[in-house]
Amino acid sequence: MLELTEAADRYGRSQVVEVLQDLQEKNGYISREAIQAASDRLGAPLIEVYRVAHFYKAFSLAPRGRHLITVCTGTACHVRGAPRLLDEVKGQLGVEAGGTTDDGAFTLEGVNCLGACALGPVVVLDGIYHHHMTPNKLRELIRSVRDADGKRGEGG
Amino acid sequence: MEEYVHITLDGAKVPVPKGTTVLDAALSYGICIPHLCHVPYLTPIGVCRLCIVELIENGRAKVTTSCTLDAKEGMVIRTNSEKIRNLRRKLAELLVAEAPNSRAVQDLAARCGVTEVRYPFRNHDCVLCGRCVRVCEEVWQARALGFVGRGKARRVEFPFGVKPDFCKECNTCIDLCPMTITPCPGPMKTGEEYLCAQCASQVSMAENMPDTCVLCDLGQGFQCARQTGQV
Amino acid sequence: MASIRELTSLRETLAAERRSKRGTIILCGDTGCEASGSHLLADAIRKELAERGLEDSVELRVTGCHGFCEVGPVMVVEPGNIFYCHVSANDAGEIVSATIERGQVVERLLYADPVSGKRVIKEEHVPFYRAQDRVLLGRNKLVSPSSIEDYIAEGGYSSLAKVLEEMTPEQVIGETKASGLRGRGGGGFPTGRKWESCRAAEGEPKYVICNADEGDPGAYMDRSLLEGNPHAVLEGMLIGAYAIGARHGYVYVRNEYPMALESAKVAVVQAEDLGLLGDNILGSGFSFDVKIARGAGAFVCGESTALMASLEGKVGEPRPKDVHTVEEGLRNKPSTLNNVETWANVPLIIEKGSAWFAGKGTEKSKGTKIFALTGRVKNTGLVEVEMGTPLRTLIYDIGGGAADGVGVKAVQTGGPSGGCLPTSKFDLPVDFETLAEAGSMVGSGGMVVMDERTCMVDVAKYFLNFLLDESCGKCFPCRVGIDRMLEIVTDITEGRGSPEQIALLEDLAETVSETSLCALGKTAANPVISTLRYFRDEYEAHINDKRCPAGVCRELIEYWIDEEKCTGCGACLRACPHRAISGEKEGPHTIDAATCVKCGICHDECQFDAVVIR
Repeated sequence: MLELTEAADRYGRSQVVEVLQDLQEKNGYISREAIQAASDRLGAPLIEVYRVAHFYKAFSLAPRGRHLITVCTGTACHVRGAPRLLDEVKGQLGVEAGGTTDDGAFTLEGVNCLGACALGPVVVLDGIYHHHMTPNKLRELIRSVRDADGKRGEGG
Repeated sequence: MEEYVHITLDGAKVPVPKGTTVLDAALSYGICIPHLCHVPYLTPIGVCRLCIVELIENGRAKVTTSCTLDAKEGMVIRTNSEKIRNLRRKLAELLVAEAPNSRAVQDLAARCGVTEVRYPFRNHDCVLCGRCVRVCEEVWQARALGFVGRGKARRVEFPFGVKPDFCKECNTCIDLCPMTITPCPGPMKTGEEYLCAQCASQVSMAENMPDTCVLCDLGQGFQCARQTGQV
Repeated sequence: MASIRELTSLRETLAAERRSKRGTIILCGDTGCEASGSHLLADAIRKELAERGLEDSVELRVTGCHGFCEVGPVMVVEPGNIFYCHVSANDAGEIVSATIERGQVVERLLYADPVSGKRVIKEEHVPFYRAQDRVLLGRNKLVSPSSIEDYIAEGGYSSLAKVLEEMTPEQVIGETKASGLRGRGGGGFPTGRKWESCRAAEGEPKYVICNADEGDPGAYMDRSLLEGNPHAVLEGMLIGAYAIGARHGYVYVRNEYPMALESAKVAVVQAEDLGLLGDNILGSGFSFDVKIARGAGAFVCGESTALMASLEGKVGEPRPKDVHTVEEGLRNKPSTLNNVETWANVPLIIEKGSAWFAGKGTEKSKGTKIFALTGRVKNTGLVEVEMGTPLRTLIYDIGGGAADGVGVKAVQTGGPSGGCLPTSKFDLPVDFETLAEAGSMVGSGGMVVMDERTCMVDVAKYFLNFLLDESCGKCFPCRVGIDRMLEIVTDITEGRGSPEQIALLEDLAETVSETSLCALGKTAANPVISTLRYFRDEYEAHINDKRCPAGVCRELIEYWIDEEKCTGCGACLRACPHRAISGEKEGPHTIDAATCVKCGICHDECQFDAVVIR
């Protein structure tokens, strides 16, 4: 795995966390092969790499959907109605936090605070921050992403 | 020449070899501080919290685990104050509520003074004491097992859930596991979880033997004080 | 740069260049304002300036957070300290032509006092800022985070120069101790003492670490400081490293803060390029390098021993602290870990003297503290006040009081390790000891305001859920104790509560706080205990009457449509994500109780108040 070699060179043998971060960024998830390869390449016990991959929330062990919806569930956003946004996604896409839609289009994740608390509730969709979100706005957002996908001829 | 430090254990000033933990020091003097995750030849990790003691410093009492506390010159330790006994009992009560289906756990709970369990029983078959993980890593250097996951999802697992081929099949993990030490007559049926005391556990003796060894089955599998004849 | 003299002369050149500008447009480009489109505004301004040939005489400075996040995007125009809010890209032309070219204010962009309606021109007169003492955060508008030149022009790195030239490490520690600076990450440990212990500890190399993990939900002070003024943090670390005798430093940034990570990385490279990091800094013989490390999504990694484990490439599990990290920390070497805000205070203390810092605040809590004021309050944002300022000032004078006119009920401070305080406690001064005595804590600075629509039992449940999710799970009392507390509080919020459970909760709270291995577990019971202490009546309503007074706990409420008010517009039907509402157009609508999950979306949608909670 080229990216593994590059990452290992950049960070050094002990930096299992940083190496896995790079792999997660490049591939969208950490595969079984990646864990095995990281263990071999870094000389870290297999169980250690496996543990690190499971401990940190940033690492996804299964491929994620094409579009990542992140709903902030921090205190300020919670008090301003973040649970309703999760309800909205559940109703629209049928997934709970951590789940991916059957067609592989969307993955929903909750995150414990993005640090944009004054603008809550906050939703990040494909890297773009949306603030003062309401269930209505979220519905529109999902619909627009779906429409854009449809025009590009991508599933769903 | 071995170096000694002097600590005060429950009022008695005793010499202790430098580098000994407070728990080991207490055990060597016959004070059996209850413990679950401690195994003499494994690195202490202080996760069960049962071996807590009070460390008196500057007039204040700090609650800390004795297995991870190195004895230092002049330390004042209380192993059995009312506060410690209460905390230990509450911890043991939670432990039994999590995993009642083990004689070792029930013995330990009895030893800590648990007479009622106020929480709904669960029926876990692992208490995450880490004995298996540590023995696999430190004694056999196989590292076939590990703690995986965080918080409530924490469990002991093989990599990818499959026993790896570098497992040495030594079975020490099974020998040391408190859940496999003489389990009760049978698994509890769902809806019928309760502390039955039918497995000849030491429940009835709890009030009579507060400070000394209750011959609990946790000593099996390694050289505990009982087996070396010190008790 | 190879010497302090070179730094001084560079500073003079840059400062002169700044002064030569005709005007400056300062625009907040922090994560929050960017989400509101400040980058589009920046582009628009650039275009306008270019079109009018003003790009050389007028500086456009995109900075970090200005604090008044509620009214963003925020802009300050100099000269004149003119404050504009809710600025959008469409306003660019008018701002340049009117304010820059003709010196006139654009009235509609000025902040309007919500009570009198009067427009305020100067930033320093905006009520939000008046009660604050913005020694740290106020500097954000002076620098563009990606420009070390800005930082130097404003006097940056002069404290480092002073330390290297005129002070011994012991003197630096002495000043830090005299200032009374205490850790700003939540622990509140005296910084000077920490440095002193680390200096005295044996072991090489020593490390200096900046904790930018800021996991407390609702807190973003560190993000804004690091994003907006990374050099202030680096300078603090340099001074600390000099004092302790450390050669290497790390900044551990949580990966949920991509802009702060970027800011820090750029700053390090710029500092290295100018010889302010690396070998033989400014010819002094002192060498220090900094690496930036990323978190990977674990709140527990804000705990110092867990953070160090993570830096070593392992899982973030805390270890017992019977031996302190100043003696055995990162890789078992003496390490000093401090919070972002703590580090940022250091250059100012060196520059202005420990007496200046100690002159602010209370007897035991010196200096200023940045708070993230959020939740159900009118003016949300980052607020910096002198320690000892009453809660009331923060919530009402600065925060503007309740949002939407619904009465304020409580304020939650200190994140998941802190507690909730009722309005009767709002006269309490904010300082370490006072809040702790009241059952909460200053913590890292999160301050969430709650009103009558917030259920305090639900708040306890929320925090327990968070902590259980984030607990590393290693030690028994934290993993199982929090789970059992959550089990009980969930029972209470779902109508299965019984009075005996309160005693059980208190027992569990005692066990968890006394016997847990690390601070996460030790403080985990605070939300429960503080809500029990001050809002017991809400617990009792849930338990005895099976009722949720705030109308939040889903199992105890019912949503119902009042036929007389319903106009049949169908808005609720369309909005319901669970398809629980039915009705004909223009006819009354009904909610199917069996399908309804009580999310409340229909209640928010209805313009006619026809959806009722009971």
